[in-house]
Amino acid sequence: MSSRRARGVGALVVLAALAALAALTAGGAGAGAQTLAALPRSQTLYMSGNQWSPNNDLNPAKNWDYVTGLVGFAYETPFRYDPLKDKFIPWLATGGGWTSKSAYTMAIRSGVKWSDGQPMTAKDVAYSYNLLKSPTHPQHPLFADTGLKSIKASGNKVVFTFSGTPAFQEFDNYRFNVAVVPQHIFKSYSTTDITTGNLSNPKKIVGTGPYLYQSGVGASSNTVVWKKNPNWWATSALGLKVGPQYVVDIKNGTNAAALSNLLAGNIDLFNNFAPKSAIKGRFKTYFGSTPYHLGANTTWLFPNTTKKPLNDPKFRRALADSINIGQIIDKSYQGLVNKASPTGLLPIWSKWIDKKAVAQNGFSYNPTKAKAALAAAGYKDTNGDGYVENKDGSAIDLSIVVPNGWSDWMTAIQVISDSAKQVGIKITPAYPDYATLVDDRGHGRFDLLLGNDRQMSNTPWTYYQYIYNLPIADNQTTMNYQRYTDQTAFALTQKLNRTPSTNTKAYQAILTSLQKRFLQTLPAIPLWYNGMWSMVNTQYWTGWPSSSANQYTPSSWRNYFQMTSIDMFTHLRPAKAD
Amino acid sequence: MLRYLSRKAAIYLLTFFVAVTIDWAIPRFMPGDPIEGLLSRMHAQPGSEQALSGYYSQAFGFDVPLWQQYLNFWAALFRGDLGVSITNFPTPVSELIMSALPYTLALLLPAILLSFWAGNKVGALAARRKVLDNTVLPASYVLTATPQMWLGIVLAWLFASTWAIFPVSGAYGLDIQPAWSLEFALSFLYHWILPFSALFLVAFGGWAIGMRNMIIYELESDYSNYLAALGAPSKLVRKYAYRNALLPQITGLALALGAVVAGAIVVEIVFSYPGLGTLTLSAIQNRDYFLIQGIFLFLITGVLIANFVIDIAYVVIDPRTRIGMQGS
Repeated sequence: MSSRRARGVGALVVLAALAALAALTAGGAGAGAQTLAALPRSQTLYMSGNQWSPNNDLNPAKNWDYVTGLVGFAYETPFRYDPLKDKFIPWLATGGGWTSKSAYTMAIRSGVKWSDGQPMTAKDVAYSYNLLKSPTHPQHPLFADTGLKSIKASGNKVVFTFSGTPAFQEFDNYRFNVAVVPQHIFKSYSTTDITTGNLSNPKKIVGTGPYLYQSGVGASSNTVVWKKNPNWWATSALGLKVGPQYVVDIKNGTNAAALSNLLAGNIDLFNNFAPKSAIKGRFKTYFGSTPYHLGANTTWLFPNTTKKPLNDPKFRRALADSINIGQIIDKSYQGLVNKASPTGLLPIWSKWIDKKAVAQNGFSYNPTKAKAALAAAGYKDTNGDGYVENKDGSAIDLSIVVPNGWSDWMTAIQVISDSAKQVGIKITPAYPDYATLVDDRGHGRFDLLLGNDRQMSNTPWTYYQYIYNLPIADNQTTMNYQRYTDQTAFALTQKLNRTPSTNTKAYQAILTSLQKRFLQTLPAIPLWYNGMWSMVNTQYWTGWPSSSANQYTPSSWRNYFQMTSIDMFTHLRPAKAD
Repeated sequence: MLRYLSRKAAIYLLTFFVAVTIDWAIPRFMPGDPIEGLLSRMHAQPGSEQALSGYYSQAFGFDVPLWQQYLNFWAALFRGDLGVSITNFPTPVSELIMSALPYTLALLLPAILLSFWAGNKVGALAARRKVLDNTVLPASYVLTATPQMWLGIVLAWLFASTWAIFPVSGAYGLDIQPAWSLEFALSFLYHWILPFSALFLVAFGGWAIGMRNMIIYELESDYSNYLAALGAPSKLVRKYAYRNALLPQITGLALALGAVVAGAIVVEIVFSYPGLGTLTLSAIQNRDYFLIQGIFLFLITGVLIANFVIDIAYVVIDPRTRIGMQGS
């Protein structure tokens, strides 16, 4: 009796396991057809750090969500941009230039083929850019903001025609951020599919790039596998060859799981934050010593400038002087980041930083000065509780928020709170969850918060737009979280956008004015440069980017492929010959 | 019989209605607007923000009053439509659930069935053997009081991190994709053992204690003594005691289902196991209304159906219930 029941249970378990396995293989998006052997370790590069969302978005327009490598490995852009050398790299285009005050002409490379064998032409490029005309296309601002009127292909050229003075800076950004897609494949999609869909059929990934899609697209898939494209155009045209035969991108799970995979040697390129103790001596980083990583973006302290006393530039200034950034760098980052320039501009833009303006108006940690400045501005501790009060005598009780779970930032705001206390400013740290914070941030329901949305790019204009953009809407979803109105600075920002960086003198003059104004008013307080986290394992692959050789962006983050991350792949070679 | 079943069915339907309503309401009353979160994540520029915001509001049906959203929700439900995921727009929620479901089932079913079977067996044995009673009982008490998640973390720390015997995360190797092959099956099994153990051990402890106590109770009851007095072999006495002791355990199984499902959700998160648990976490973190709703609805329905099945099974297993119903 009991043994019969035991057999019954056993059979049920086996059935359940079989059913699960069957469902898995069926769900594996066509993987059932190909019985795939495990990948050879010595020919495979494993990377992790970019993918958080499900591995099923194959839409190159959704540049915050698409499967890692979709743009860069499969689809390519007309140009790439090298942020470390401030240089555009002709890619699917062989060159381009302003042929009149209002027309930019791009020459398209001949001999490039789509992975299905069809030739890639200027028509494909014009088609790809014209897709942005749809108002719901995420990159629609190319049409909405730059003055662009039309894009036409003629022969092997694509002509962009503008009305009025073009927004050179913004347009330059789109020169390396729009993926060229095959018209003969994409014409079967509806506009809604192209602007907001997932285009989730991996068979339709027909690109020009160095890798072909191999397997792994699916909502519950943890890895996506790319295989070397033997017919990549850049091999014959430019003599470039990617090293790894296979690239596997691993979706992020918990921090602990990711870190233990790294330590076990399962990951070759790790683009998540890892504490210094975990990496030291075992993995290589871009710099051999502090700060180890390139600065990818600035972490800003945003004050809500619609609230008292944060609407007072003198108060903001005293607050900036009170923050012990050195302690944040030691405590939260163990020296893995560098202090930001008081202008907030990234190291790649250091040539534009006006050193005189910084010397005159820059801030740095100085509690004595901060205290004196508070007193001089009329903020005094009238009730003797150790904290200063507003000029009208009401209590100052500010809160500072960062998303729960962002542990480095959570430690950082504790330091900010502690150092503000030293000068008598009461700031209480809080850690709401991310979605709540985004909602409160958008609607101005906060006192102080940290933000680092803008990554390195071809132009500091992206930073000034982030700080100064007007008008202020009910919901500020992506910029000017601090709700700061400065018409002059915004006009300068717009002027900067409409000045070509080749006009060095005018360009520098506007940047200098912006920096001066920024330092005098401090609408946001730049704190440190968040790193382009990159830990590499040299056991299987060599030739990694570093400050001494192969100066490329060592990142698998989206939108870095079309900077110089692709150069990383073309310089990698197996550590041991097979 | 029919009256019994229809009464049960009515209770389940009412529970379903209330649960679905709560399921619909909870995400809507959480702070945070999902569309704003989406726009923020995509770094929407002023030039496209308004158009996108309007488009998404309409696409998700947020542009109508709440009561209408509620009615639309029921209407869609009867068409089997659980809506579209917000963060993974425009993937249907049902697709996300179905792709995660096999992993959760592969953990849940064996954990529930094997722990029930093994726990009851070992518990019954423990009631008769002093040595077992002194070892299994305390161990079971510890196990059953342990949260599955915590046990998962301990197992991961010991077997994956410290001794590196098992992998720490995922459902299969990084170098392999789901396929009908021995290689995949082995890799899957290898990754399955730790999360399965976390669920199995906790449930096992509970069943073992329950059965051990029930057997002692049954062995001391009048029918056991009577059987023994009649000279029946102790094996036969134990067999009857086991059958009687199993009845409350089956009721317990119905009650425990919800807890096991909840346990599976957190254990999956510990091991980054790509099942419904991991999906639930990301849905909650991203305020993905429809996905949260869909998963909960799925779990609610699953647990209700399982309970109903157990109710029916009870009638079959326990002759007294059957006779009682025939009598009425």
